[in-house]
Amino acid sequence: MDYLKYVDADSLLHRLDPRTKFAFFVVMAILTSVVKSGVALLFLFLFFIAMWCACRIQKYMVVLAQKLKVLLLFIFLLWFVLGLFERPVVEGGPIFFETVIPFVGGQTINFCFDWYDFYKGAVYAMRIFLMISSFYTVLLTTNFSEIILGLQKWHVPYSIAFAIGLVFQIIPMIITELQAIMEAQSSRGLEIEECGAWTKIKNYVTFSLPLLFRVISKAQAISLAMHYYQLDFSVRRSAYKGIKASKYDAWFLIANAIAIVITIVLRMYFYIPV
Amino acid sequence: MDYVVNNINYRYSPDSRDVLKNVNFSIEKGKVTAIVGPSGCGKSTLVQIFSKVIPKLIGNGVLEGSFDVPEGTFVSVVSQTPENQLFGYGVEDAIAFGMENLGLPQEEVVERMEYVLDLLNLQYLRNRSVANLSGGQRQSVCIASVLAMDPDILIMDEPVSSLDPNGKKMVQNILGQLSVNGNTVVLVDNNLVWSAGIVDHVIGLLDGEVVFDGTRDEFFKDFELQEKLGVIIPQEVELYRELSKHFDDMELFYTIEEARVQIDKKITKKEFTAPVPAAAGSENIISVHNLVKTFNDGFHALIDVNTNLPKGQVIAVLGQNGSGKTTFVKHLNGLHKPTSGDVRYMGNSILKKTVAQISKNIILVFQHPEHMLFEETVERELTFCARMQDVEFTPEQITEVLEHYHLEKERETFPLNLSMGQKHMLTILSVLFSSADVIILDEPTLGMDGFLIKDLERMIANLRDQGKTVIMISHEIPLVFRTVDYSVILNQGEKVFEGTKEELSRRSDIFDAINISLPPVVRLSQEYGFDKVCFNVADFAEEMLKRCNR
Repeated sequence: MDYLKYVDADSLLHRLDPRTKFAFFVVMAILTSVVKSGVALLFLFLFFIAMWCACRIQKYMVVLAQKLKVLLLFIFLLWFVLGLFERPVVEGGPIFFETVIPFVGGQTINFCFDWYDFYKGAVYAMRIFLMISSFYTVLLTTNFSEIILGLQKWHVPYSIAFAIGLVFQIIPMIITELQAIMEAQSSRGLEIEECGAWTKIKNYVTFSLPLLFRVISKAQAISLAMHYYQLDFSVRRSAYKGIKASKYDAWFLIANAIAIVITIVLRMYFYIPV
Repeated sequence: MDYVVNNINYRYSPDSRDVLKNVNFSIEKGKVTAIVGPSGCGKSTLVQIFSKVIPKLIGNGVLEGSFDVPEGTFVSVVSQTPENQLFGYGVEDAIAFGMENLGLPQEEVVERMEYVLDLLNLQYLRNRSVANLSGGQRQSVCIASVLAMDPDILIMDEPVSSLDPNGKKMVQNILGQLSVNGNTVVLVDNNLVWSAGIVDHVIGLLDGEVVFDGTRDEFFKDFELQEKLGVIIPQEVELYRELSKHFDDMELFYTIEEARVQIDKKITKKEFTAPVPAAAGSENIISVHNLVKTFNDGFHALIDVNTNLPKGQVIAVLGQNGSGKTTFVKHLNGLHKPTSGDVRYMGNSILKKTVAQISKNIILVFQHPEHMLFEETVERELTFCARMQDVEFTPEQITEVLEHYHLEKERETFPLNLSMGQKHMLTILSVLFSSADVIILDEPTLGMDGFLIKDLERMIANLRDQGKTVIMISHEIPLVFRTVDYSVILNQGEKVFEGTKEELSRRSDIFDAINISLPPVVRLSQEYGFDKVCFNVADFAEEMLKRCNR
């Protein structure tokens, strides 16, 4: 399954002007940073699912969720554990267990295992997931040539736009290289499957050396290729292709505007401080 | 006017040795010039000087002499790794990249785009993404992208080194097209198998010095020089070399058609009636049962493959790129787990073992040595497998192997500083110290010159003599027929043939189906009705002499 790279398809998202998708990411990143309402975030999550399904990229988002599960679980547990040491800010929900634990110097710690701990953990995990998935949605549906064109249209200097596009071209290469190095070393007898966590960490350190050399050698090859293609950032380039917003961009923007309004309304009516 | 290489001397730093010494020659306009020579002879340095990488990007060396070209001459390069050279997601984006850098008006970019796509017959690829192209297609797009910039000199640096036979044919056709079109092309490659019929002019480099400067025919008639430079030549030319030792009037030939004309003058064709020799009975070391591999995206990489691989033999796994060869061998060492089916080593399933556990019996050497090398010296790299598998070894054994394979001087060298061919040889040598009795080599000749390939052939023969089983994926079909005993052919994930080399040599229908050519000596020995199928030129010459009653 492709991961962390553009997926060639012909969906609504693929047809959008890259600038529309950049704007989508920026707005969603801001929205998920400021909205902390579980109900509003749940709505946004459902909106995202509908969008992914409509554009037939849902299976790639499932892969993303699988890759992020450890991070999301960590965030959930972190806020869950922190929540155990405070009472819910709103009354009414179930409290499963509550006690006061004596602490040094005659002080006490309030321990309260309640619904709010789950809520808080879920809200923080959801926010992170939505933020990352909005970026991933753009990454999956915008190839690096379009990223460069879109950034140039936003008057980003070509040297920066090219560097950003290059990063998206190289990331899948590096993932493939790391995979090949791990396979090659295990083929020569290095145990990477049935080994403890410490050995796994050591192995990753070991793999990093050949990976580093591969990346350096790729970087050298790329810089040579830039020379062969006479890339000179001080010279004004021409453009073979252009980008233009279409009716699809209008529909997409309208749908997103409605979703944002609903999210804000839900945030106003169903807000539990976290 | 030609482009003149005028007395060039170069060293990478003021206190290092000269890598190029008094290099003088001319590159003829509108011709294809091949620069040949063994690894480390200075070919790549010369490319860097022609393309102005030296001194523009590498400025700390000492360059004397000059590359005399008219003002504004544009030299561009097609490298051996197009995936590192193509910028842009789609084929059109990649081709347009260089033209956009030149600031050409959009109309001209469109015009040149159409021109190169038509010239190289690549219109059918224009809407594809670069990532989804085969190796040959990618290299073709790379050539198109450079050609679209209208270079005065186009340098191709080992352009087919990692391509399958289809990819090689594609680039070969393009080179032929460029030659007909009158483009000035410099081909830097020690393998002339695919380009022998196209090149006009050959420059031989050895230890940084020009040792040959002449026409293609002059070069192919100088047997001693070909040997000295380790140049890989077409089997047809090898055959000419062998036959001309016995027949004074033999004229030089490059193709099988030309070979027939010469051989017809000596002998007549007869029906080929030699029976298939009985296969030597041998127990199976690996058996594969109903192997199916379907990847997560639904691609069927292997479809119900059944095979029994005999012990102590050299086995080839053949097929075009994408036929499932690498997926197949990755099941043999446990890197891939089958969707269904079983893989057994000496009768026992390996499916529940880890790759490292399997490597004690079955070891796989990857195609790209950079994925495998990660020790700080050649010596430590050589003993990596032995240390991982707790196999004992002595310093004398290390010295013996290093001396035997000409790496003694490099004992303390950082492995990644070796030439491509040496790096590949080192990864193969490291498995000699492992406990495995099945050794899988994936494209072992990649980056090797003629000398290293001969070493490799000897090593494979030695391993067989020691009772080890060698499984080899290779696109070098003459090498395969020289070295293997048994073969398995895959096509689009299905096994289409399994049997001995003798049986395989009689199945031209299979080679037609997978679009690979049988080696010339195999075809000719059958066409002329020899008493046996010949797998190398020496045997062919011997059979021909017998027919001539010599």
